[in-house]
Amino acid sequence: MASQRVFQVGLRRAGVPMFSRMQPAGRIAQRRFAATQHVEESEGQEILRKQRLQRPVSPHLSIYRPQITWYGSALNRVTGIMLSGSLYLFGIAYLAAPAMGWHLETPSMVAAVAAWPVFAKVGAKVALAFPFFYHSLNGLRHLSWDLGLGFKNTTVMRTGWAVVATSVVAGLYYTFLG
Amino acid sequence: MASLLRPSLLRQGPAVAAPSSRFLSTVTRQTALRPGALAASWQKPTTTTQRVAAFHATQRQQILPPLPQKIQGTANDPVPVPAPEYVHGSYHWTFERLVATGLIPLTIAPFAAGSLNPLTDSILCALLVIHSHTGFESCIIDYFPKNRVPKTRAAAMWALRIATVTLGVALYSFETNDVGITEAVSRLWHA
Amino acid sequence: MASTRALARLATRRTAVVRPAVSSFSRGLASVTDTHAREPVSKVAEKIVPDRAAEVVPESKTSTVREPTPGKDAKIKTFHIYRWNPDEPSAKPRMQTYTLDLNKTGPMMLDALIRIKNEVDPTLTFRRSCREGICGSCAMNIDGVNTLACLCRIPTDTSKESRIYPLPHMYVVKDLVPDMTLFYKQYRSIKPYLQRETPAPDGREYRQSKADRKKLDGLYECILCACCSTSCPSYWWNQEEYLGPAVLLQSYRWIADSRDEKKAERQDALNNSMSLYRCHTIMNCSRTCPKGLNPGLAIAEIKKSMAFA
Repeated sequence: MASQRVFQVGLRRAGVPMFSRMQPAGRIAQRRFAATQHVEESEGQEILRKQRLQRPVSPHLSIYRPQITWYGSALNRVTGIMLSGSLYLFGIAYLAAPAMGWHLETPSMVAAVAAWPVFAKVGAKVALAFPFFYHSLNGLRHLSWDLGLGFKNTTVMRTGWAVVATSVVAGLYYTFLG
Repeated sequence: MASLLRPSLLRQGPAVAAPSSRFLSTVTRQTALRPGALAASWQKPTTTTQRVAAFHATQRQQILPPLPQKIQGTANDPVPVPAPEYVHGSYHWTFERLVATGLIPLTIAPFAAGSLNPLTDSILCALLVIHSHTGFESCIIDYFPKNRVPKTRAAAMWALRIATVTLGVALYSFETNDVGITEAVSRLWHA
Repeated sequence: MASTRALARLATRRTAVVRPAVSSFSRGLASVTDTHAREPVSKVAEKIVPDRAAEVVPESKTSTVREPTPGKDAKIKTFHIYRWNPDEPSAKPRMQTYTLDLNKTGPMMLDALIRIKNEVDPTLTFRRSCREGICGSCAMNIDGVNTLACLCRIPTDTSKESRIYPLPHMYVVKDLVPDMTLFYKQYRSIKPYLQRETPAPDGREYRQSKADRKKLDGLYECILCACCSTSCPSYWWNQEEYLGPAVLLQSYRWIADSRDEKKAERQDALNNSMSLYRCHTIMNCSRTCPKGLNPGLAIAEIKKSMAFA
C-alpha cells in the first residue's frame, strides 16, 4: 500500500512540466507511511464504543497535591463521622442496655470513667475534643461560604489553617485544663 | 527543509536528534501498515509486545473502581436534565443550613453556662440527630452512586433511617430519664 | 548564547507574576508509586479508596529517554510522564521518564512537551493549540495540580523531578489526552446561550447596564479547560450526575445575565440532589483555576439564589 503510494507520487512528479520542478525544495511532498482505510459512520461509532471500554481512568486521589482545601474538607467529613458515629453508637447501646445488662446511666458511667487510668482519659478526651472543635469551627467556615463570604484563594487557605490551629489549641486546652 | 526552519531546532544548532532515536519509547510491532490493522488492533490484544509484569506482589482489592466508559447518545446530545425535586434540592439545602445555624448558639451556650436547661438540651439533641442524619445521608449519596450499586445504596439508606429513629428514641429516653446530654458530657469530662 | 538566555531567564524570573496557587503549604507531591516519597495521609486515603493509579507501572520499571546530546553546562531536568497506548489495550499505563536540558528548552511545560515530541519521542501524545492560555487544550495535571501546560513554568530546580499526568479521574484516550465527551455533553445540557422571548424595545441589540455587565466579569473568561472540574473530588466520584464546577460556573454565567429570560428554568434544571448539591465547597476548583476565576463562588451564588426562592 505504502509502496504503491510512493510509486504514485513518483509518477505524478515525473508527469508534471519542467517549470514546476524548478520550485523550491519545500514543494517536495512529505510522505506518510501510514495506511488509512475507509469505515462507515456507524462502524466508526462501534469502533469508538469498543475502544472506550478499554480505556483506563487517569490517577486521581493518589497524585493530586495535598492541599488544605481538599484535605481540610476530607477531615471535616471524617471528624463529623467520628462524632456522629459515637453518638449513634451510644444511642443504640443506651437502648440496648437494659436488655444486655449494661449500666449506661450517667452516675454509673461517671464512676466507670473515673476508674480509668490517666492515659485512657486523656486519649479519649483528645479523640473527642479535636474532632469536635475542628468540625464546629469548620462548620462556621462553611456557613460563611454559604453566605458567599471568604471565597478568595488566600482567605480560604488562611481560614483553613486557622481552623486547624485553633482546634488543636482548644482541643489541648480542654483535654488538660478544661 | 521546512522542518529545519522550525525555531526549536534552530536553537539547537547542530544538536539535532539522531533519527534512529526517534522510536525509542513505544515500539509497536504492528505499526499500522497493513490494511485491517487499524480495526484489529484492540480486538485482539497484542502478544508480540510484552510489557512489564504486575508490580504489586499482593493484589489490592479495589473499592468501587470506575466502570468502563460508556457514553449515552452521540457527542452532540446533552446529558439528560433531571426533573426538579425541590425536596431533595434547594429545600433540603436550606433546611440543612438552618439546622447548622441553630446548632451554633446551642453549642456555645453550655461552654458559657456549664450546661443547658432541659428544654434547650432536648432542642440540641433533636438538631444533632437531624444534622447527623443529613451528614450520613450525604456520605451515602456521595460514595454509593444509585446507578452503580443500587442495592448497597438502598440498604445503607434504610440502615441509616433505622439507626436515626433508634437514636431519636434513645435520646428521648435519655433526656426524660437521665440528666440531659450536656450535663452528662460535662460530668463525664470532669470524671 | 546560553549565557544570554540565562540572563534573560533571570530577568524574567524577577518580574514573573507569581501564580496565585503558590501556597505556604508547598510540599512534595504525592506520587503514584514510589511509596517512600508518599506521605502517610495520602497512603491512608489510598487504602480507603484505592484507585486505578495503583496499577500504573512506576518510572523505576521503565526505560529513561535521555536528552539527545547534553552540552557541557547542561541543566538536566527529569520529567515523568504518564503513558498509555490504546493500540495495546491490555498493557498497563506506565510512567515514562525523559530528561531534557533546560538550556535548550523554552520556559514553559508545554515547551518541554513539544521538545520531547519533536526531538526525543514522537509517540508522546498531548493536546495543545494556542500556547498562550486561551484555548484550554493543554490542561493536565502537572506536579500534582491541574493547570495549563502553556501557563505553567518549568521549575528551574533540576533536583526536583516533574510529574505530568492527564486530568485526574478521566478516561484516557492516549497518554495525556483525556476523553472530554461527557464534560462537553454536560456543558450542552445547561443551554449555554441567551434564551429570550421578548424583542428589544428599540429593535436593536439587547442592552444591559454597566452594573449588569459587571456581574458577568469573572464568569465569561472561563475557557472550559476542565481543570477545576477534574480537581474536584465530588466530580471524581459522581461524574455521571454531578455537573462539576466548570459547567456550574457556566450555568451561573447565564443565570446572572440580565438579558436572559429563562432564569427560573435554568435554576430548576439544577434543583435536584445531584446536579448542583454534590458541591461540598471543597474549593479545589478555585485553587487550581489557571485563569484565576472562582467557580466555588459562582456555585455558592447559585445555591444562595435558590435558597429561599
